Amino acid sequence: MSIFYPVSEKDVTRAIVRGFLRQFEEYAESDAIIVGAGPSGLMAGRELGRMGHRVLIVERNNYLGGGFWLGGYLMNKVTVREPAQEILDELGVPYEEASRGLYVADGPHACSKLIASACDAGVKFANMTVLEDVVLREGRVAGVVVNWTPVAALPREITCVDPVAIEAKVVIDATGHDAEVVRKLEERGVMKAVGFGAMWLERSEDLVVEHTGEAFPGLIVTGMAVTTTYGLPRMGPTFGAMLLSGKKAAEAANEALHKSPAR
Amino acid sequence: MQVHIYEEQTASLDFHKLANYLKEKLPSFSVEIREAFFAFFKPLDIARLAEELARAKVRSLTSRDFSFEPLPGEIAYERRRLEDPKSKAFGILYDGFKLSKIMLGLIPEKERTMEHIHVVFTNQLFGTWEEGDGRYHARVSVYGFPSLISTTGIVEAPAKPREYYLLKRQYSALGFGELAAALEFKERYKGRFIDYDDLRLTDVMKGYLMQAVFYHLTGDPFCEDPGCRLYNAHWQEEVIRAQLESDYEFCPFHQAVLVRVNYLLLKQGACACPRPQFPMGFGFIGRHDRPVDGRPTQSGHAPPGKVPGSV
Repeated sequence: MSIFYPVSEKDVTRAIVRGFLRQFEEYAESDAIIVGAGPSGLMAGRELGRMGHRVLIVERNNYLGGGFWLGGYLMNKVTVREPAQEILDELGVPYEEASRGLYVADGPHACSKLIASACDAGVKFANMTVLEDVVLREGRVAGVVVNWTPVAALPREITCVDPVAIEAKVVIDATGHDAEVVRKLEERGVMKAVGFGAMWLERSEDLVVEHTGEAFPGLIVTGMAVTTTYGLPRMGPTFGAMLLSGKKAAEAANEALHKSPAR
Repeated sequence: MQVHIYEEQTASLDFHKLANYLKEKLPSFSVEIREAFFAFFKPLDIARLAEELARAKVRSLTSRDFSFEPLPGEIAYERRRLEDPKSKAFGILYDGFKLSKIMLGLIPEKERTMEHIHVVFTNQLFGTWEEGDGRYHARVSVYGFPSLISTTGIVEAPAKPREYYLLKRQYSALGFGELAAALEFKERYKGRFIDYDDLRLTDVMKGYLMQAVFYHLTGDPFCEDPGCRLYNAHWQEEVIRAQLESDYEFCPFHQAVLVRVNYLLLKQGACACPRPQFPMGFGFIGRHDRPVDGRPTQSGHAPPGKVPGSV
């Protein structure tokens, strides 16, 4: 006795292609494109989605969540410092107080809840997709140029697959220490990131949140990309700043979207 | 002689205690507590000042290149800080002498005289370039016009007990960040270093305030006696010994200098400072002997750099 309804292979293929193309066509022009689906990118996407914006997150890996699955030393407990536990409350992630003002949660639980929450907010993803360049228009970042991750990983002489451009009113760099979008602007000679600064680690979480915002017209930096952009101290495996920075990036993007010229 | 102390509003510092301490040591001094420096001297052009501060940021510990153009986000950050004197600036390292020079530009002409000592307490972390090893070092204080004392620097600049660095290496080998090492260290070695919001901070800062005053009076803020408040401490343990645990406040020599200064000032009147005897360090930058304000010094010779508390 058959459990599942009979469908042919071609129907499965058509369903995948149609679903993907419909979404890709719609999101070829988004309100916000976020590059990087780590905690700050997911958080920014979730918040923007909840504000009603059309958000696409580009992620080079198949999996979403970046380093949020694990704490230090491949141990799957993640820590946040007060007041970031309020975001765990919002997401419905259980946690324990490890010491005064320091909270610990299960990485898989926290990460999966954050991904689910971003999806629930309407965020769409282009995973296995890498950033190749930025779209610059009238001195503003107006989109990104992307390609498939496997294609970009192969020598150009072998693949010969050109990338495609997708546009957005605002782009958010959530690519972590690499600050890839900022680096692309550096390659164009229109911006210069500072690089990593000195190590005064205890307070660096505050600084990341403080500096989150528009770094170049049309480009907002969040999470660890902020440290590279502004030469702030590198941070250890604590995620409070990532979550709060993502939230602040969404507020900055929302403000930029309201000021953005209509296209 | 008038001492103007500028508050740092985020630290657990009792400025009245500091002012009273100074009056007790130098009774003829007039001591005034002012609000935070940039709140007291409200800049007319806040955008320009924000940019100047962004340009004073040390971008690389191993480079003295300040020819960069600050990013708009860096300027915006400085502007937010200027607009909110209670904001904190932990983590960013500024060039101490550039910071002092920027502040000097805001002090009115009538207060840029030998009769005025400006001591700015700030939570900004600053450093100075060390020619010896070609890198920046964080400092607790930079003495000049004005003198700067950092409440962040007192935590971050003097080296912590060696156990901290061993712990850091162990944590690093295990793949943990520095934060984890710092948290455990604080738990294990509480009391052996000055921490943020440390209840001992006011007592510690009495010594740094006296160093600033000695610099203005004599051109030399330091003493070689590890038990004297004027000792140039490079380790947290040295800070604690000199400022908190010593059996005496000042070594016999500096105690005698204080007595002598008080005698001269009382004899000549508070405003008749015995200038010829006191080679003021007015306007000099560290050991490079360049004037802070771009003008020739009034004393005619250059004292050595006075930048205590390096790592």
